[in-house]
Amino acid sequence: MTRSGVLRRVAVLAGSLWLFAGLVALWWVLSDHSRSPYFPPLRVILHRFDQLWLFSGESTGLDPSLVHLAIGYAIAAVAGVAVATVLYAVPLLREATSPVVYFLYVLPAPVLIPAALALFGIGATMSTAIIAFGCFWPILLNAVDGLRATDTLKLDTARTLGLSYPRTLWSVVLPGASPQMVAGLRAGLQVGIVLMVVSEEVGATNGIGNFIIQAQNNFAFTDMWTGILVLAIVGTALNVLFVGAERLALRWYYGARSVARAR
Amino acid sequence: MLVVLAALGLWQLLTATGALNRASFPTMWSTLRALGDQLTTSGFWTTIGQTVEGWALGLALGGTAAVLVGSAIGLSRLASRSTAPVIEFLKAVPSIAILPLAIVVLGTHLQMKLTLVGYAVFFPLVIQVVYGVRALDPTVADTATTLQVRGLRRFLVVVLPSAAPFIATGLRISAATALILEIVAELIGGAPGLGQRILLAENAGPTMFPLMYAFVLVTGILGIVLTGMFTLGERRVLHWHESQRNLRGATR
Amino acid sequence: MGEATAPARDRPGEVAGGQAVPVLEVRHLRKAYPLREGERLAIEDVTFEVARGELVCVVGPSGAGKTTLLRCLSGLMAPTSGEARFEGEPIRSVPQGVGVVFQDYSRSLFPWFTVEKNLELALKVRSMGKEARGERIAQVLAAVGLPEVGRRYPWQLSGGMQQRVAIARALSYQPELLFMDEPFASVDAQTRFELEDLVLRIQGAMPDVTVVFVTHDVDESVYLADRVVALSRPPATVEAIVEIDLPKPRDQIETRADPRFAALRGEVLELVTGRTRRA
Repeated sequence: MTRSGVLRRVAVLAGSLWLFAGLVALWWVLSDHSRSPYFPPLRVILHRFDQLWLFSGESTGLDPSLVHLAIGYAIAAVAGVAVATVLYAVPLLREATSPVVYFLYVLPAPVLIPAALALFGIGATMSTAIIAFGCFWPILLNAVDGLRATDTLKLDTARTLGLSYPRTLWSVVLPGASPQMVAGLRAGLQVGIVLMVVSEEVGATNGIGNFIIQAQNNFAFTDMWTGILVLAIVGTALNVLFVGAERLALRWYYGARSVARAR
Repeated sequence: MLVVLAALGLWQLLTATGALNRASFPTMWSTLRALGDQLTTSGFWTTIGQTVEGWALGLALGGTAAVLVGSAIGLSRLASRSTAPVIEFLKAVPSIAILPLAIVVLGTHLQMKLTLVGYAVFFPLVIQVVYGVRALDPTVADTATTLQVRGLRRFLVVVLPSAAPFIATGLRISAATALILEIVAELIGGAPGLGQRILLAENAGPTMFPLMYAFVLVTGILGIVLTGMFTLGERRVLHWHESQRNLRGATR
Repeated sequence: MGEATAPARDRPGEVAGGQAVPVLEVRHLRKAYPLREGERLAIEDVTFEVARGELVCVVGPSGAGKTTLLRCLSGLMAPTSGEARFEGEPIRSVPQGVGVVFQDYSRSLFPWFTVEKNLELALKVRSMGKEARGERIAQVLAAVGLPEVGRRYPWQLSGGMQQRVAIARALSYQPELLFMDEPFASVDAQTRFELEDLVLRIQGAMPDVTVVFVTHDVDESVYLADRVVALSRPPATVEAIVEIDLPKPRDQIETRADPRFAALRGEVLELVTGRTRRA
């Protein structure tokens, strides 16, 4: 890269990050002499954060949470897309189940945490199950919508090329629905993070949610702040990972869209 | 309707025959009876009112703030570029993260619910508003300029209507998010409402499970009503917009 | 009216002694769409035949049910009554030996596959080996004048190039009969001329391929066709079938300047617009 190119990049980065850096600095300065127990100085929070969560961290609360999320989310993703494909292929079944599916989609998943608690008791199974259950519905509904919106001309084309039904499904219908499936997966991830935390706050003996609720109950507000920070970082990191994976998987979609826009 | 009856029938069948564990899954019949008992109590309606109140006020608060802030940011390129990373970061911060803070600072009152719901609504929506305002069609903008439409009138007559589809979509999604966070605030934060009643019923043990599921049913129905309103509203307000035309075209 | 005794090129394996079986026979085809009350008649009565190796243009005014007709002929849709036969067999679904090129290339090509993969799909279905597929793809892409786009995505190409890819895809499995539905209606005039010449060149190079080309453009139909089937205003009937006796090979400048071209063009135009009915 040329030198002026580097400079321009730096300038663009600075142009978009100055406010962010400024706000963090402001927080640091304003909180530095804070005596409110609720709002400890950022300096103190970061110090405690280092003690609890970084390399020498005492707390391992994050690992179980992420394991629950990963397993539950994976189950929901696979099941959601699979069931959606079946519902797409069998319109009668889709019509028959749609009121129930819609009800469960609209139902805020956290209301089922007490029921899951009653069913599975306190522990990893409960967290994983409720995450899988909650993520499943947005993934399912978006996938069904995407599948149903398949371009009829593409289906005609598949028929003229002589593609069999399974191959049409695999090579035409599923790829065509993938952008909306990804939208459902993104919505599912948001729900999953909320459920991960809430389920642990209500019924777990470990995990980040449990850590935060313990800190809150023990009036360890600095610890609680580090938990909030961890959640913010985890949420952001998962989001960045997701968007990156999405850009990679749907390269054709974003490419085609930007071309269509330019015309 | 038939499907709903069939689903209820299936529920009854599975629980009454013992295919599902009766200790943790009450029968459909006992659940509906618990619901029926509740319908005549005033406490039941108060509970629904508390949930709807938190949802509606939080949505209104977060929504208004998002439209105002989003428009202000969207009208300036510098502002939208500078604030984008901050907003994107804060949006990615799960709103659930601020719940403990809201609880310790604000207690279990309405303010806590509103803070949480408002926060959850604000960030996704403000991004939509900024997009909407920035996406003003240049031809429309030029037309407005040649017609000498300026200032506040330009904002109200040109900018806001063209951002409306983005805002409406954002609101519809926010309405669902708001309900989730409202329930969480009641469940964890102990604020009064449906979430709290569900948790209390669970804590009271298996005899109260029918009541718990009755409240779950009510929450789902509430969800359908509240989000359904927004879907209908979106369609009515935006009947002129292309996305709606395409929608109808596509279903032909 | 034009009988289907087209300049039948000799071909082995045809019914001995009898008349050659036409590649496509359309008999009293009628298509009505049911409405809530009654029906909407799109095609009233269409009858014509196409012999092997011919290029027949079906031309008609906008809304004449041309696309409906093509969907019935290619087996994408069942006619209400009457029938279409492909090599003597009634068409019930899309026959293996039929290729179709649609107007809207941006929707008909699969944007999630590269050009190569778009072409490969139909060959895989016909259980062609990997090596043979590669060869065939290279061959048809070269035939449409796009030898080096295999690894690119369709949306990275211009509109005209995309339609060339769609043509290459339809030709890749060497169909007997190629349907083209207003294929050049969405490209600019310059590209359109190039693509018309491409169709003529392909037909010259593969004399066994029969082409049925649907268009609303009278000039295009006269320039391309051996015969033109002129449809009436909707609901469609066959107004007349016009033999195009322009010399081949054709040339965008010379052919269009030919007085015979102007005469034929006028004749077809009259038929299509129905301004002066001819007995």
